[in-house]
Amino acid sequence: MLSRLLLRAAPAALRSLPPPVTVGLLQAARPLHTTQQRPAPLPPLPEKGGEVRHGLIPEEFFQFLYPKTGVTGPYMLGTGLVLYLLSKEIYVINHETVAAACILSVIIYAVKKYGPAVADFADKLNEEKVSKAVAAKNKVMESLETAIDQEKQEQWRIEGRSYLFDAKRNNIAMLLEINYRERLLMVYNEVKKRLDYQVAIQNLRRQKEQDHMIHWVEKNVIQSITPQQQKESIAKCILDLKALSKGAQAAV
Amino acid sequence: MASRRAAIKAIDWAAFAERVPPNQKAMFVALKSRSDALSARLAALPEKPPAIDWAHYKAAVAKAGMVDEFQKKFSALKVPEPVDTQSDKVNAQEQEAEKSSAEYIQASKARIAQYEQQLQKLRSMIPFEQMTFEDLHEAFPETKLDKEKYPFWPHKPIADL
Repeated sequence: MLSRLLLRAAPAALRSLPPPVTVGLLQAARPLHTTQQRPAPLPPLPEKGGEVRHGLIPEEFFQFLYPKTGVTGPYMLGTGLVLYLLSKEIYVINHETVAAACILSVIIYAVKKYGPAVADFADKLNEEKVSKAVAAKNKVMESLETAIDQEKQEQWRIEGRSYLFDAKRNNIAMLLEINYRERLLMVYNEVKKRLDYQVAIQNLRRQKEQDHMIHWVEKNVIQSITPQQQKESIAKCILDLKALSKGAQAAV
Repeated sequence: MASRRAAIKAIDWAAFAERVPPNQKAMFVALKSRSDALSARLAALPEKPPAIDWAHYKAAVAKAGMVDEFQKKFSALKVPEPVDTQSDKVNAQEQEAEKSSAEYIQASKARIAQYEQQLQKLRSMIPFEQMTFEDLHEAFPETKLDKEKYPFWPHKPIADL
């Protein structure tokens, strides 16, 4: 304790000295925390504090006394101390004792009854914070993964680019082929049309000649029938009819 | 006629359709309908026109030399094959597409590497329960409060609270 006092006085005294000496003396007197290193990441904080008995006395004290005094040692020590304080009136019982007793009992009752609830509430708050952060992180990770999948799918899509060009070349080939065939067909059709035309013309001409000739022959024949011949032929027809009718009557 | 008849490859339209991205579906449908129309026309046309019956015409047509002349000219006639002007363009397009797709795949791979890196960083992050605020600012630089720009609490514009 005295060395601590000395150490506290030392900086004030040394401030008057020139700086390099101050620094050197200070460093020799008390090594400062000059290094920035610490284990990273921080080790996780312990979940629960140190064990205590009766809310006050650390368990390590009981363990410390156990080898020498067994299980009852600390209690005997405590009882003895309390009796000593009371009997020697080092601690005087007065009105404050009563007040302290009441207050402490109320506090202890409240903590024992509502402590866990409050602790759960605080834990829940913390949980929510952490879970929000974790959810955000998970969302980011998911979106990254989907992005990666989409990129891979786009790459797969690109691999099909040959289809497009095959289709285009096919179309071109088909067009050329169609064109060629159409041309052949056209040539054939034209030639056939012309030949058919010739044949049709011939037929038509023949037909017309025939008709004309027949017509001309008929006309001439009719012309050549003179009135004289007409009378003669009508008289002959009537004679023939009479002969026929006679014959016919006999047959009937 | 070897130059003719560039073989018409069978295209797997189903596989093709799978690879079309949704924003280009309309173009794909147009291409397919055009292809189908062309192949329908092709199927409708006969490969060779029917042969002309010269004997019948020789008997029928009176004019002596005409049919022979026609026949001679017809068999001598060579229908020129249509010239292919577009194939080169298509091939050039294909080269272009190869180049641009190679570039795109490069860029895509770079992006994937980036994403993988970030994913790795996130996966190897220490759990939030063990972090201090400094660790948090290291892992997510956007959470760091800019104390120079906004020297007074809450160190960020009020609208961002």
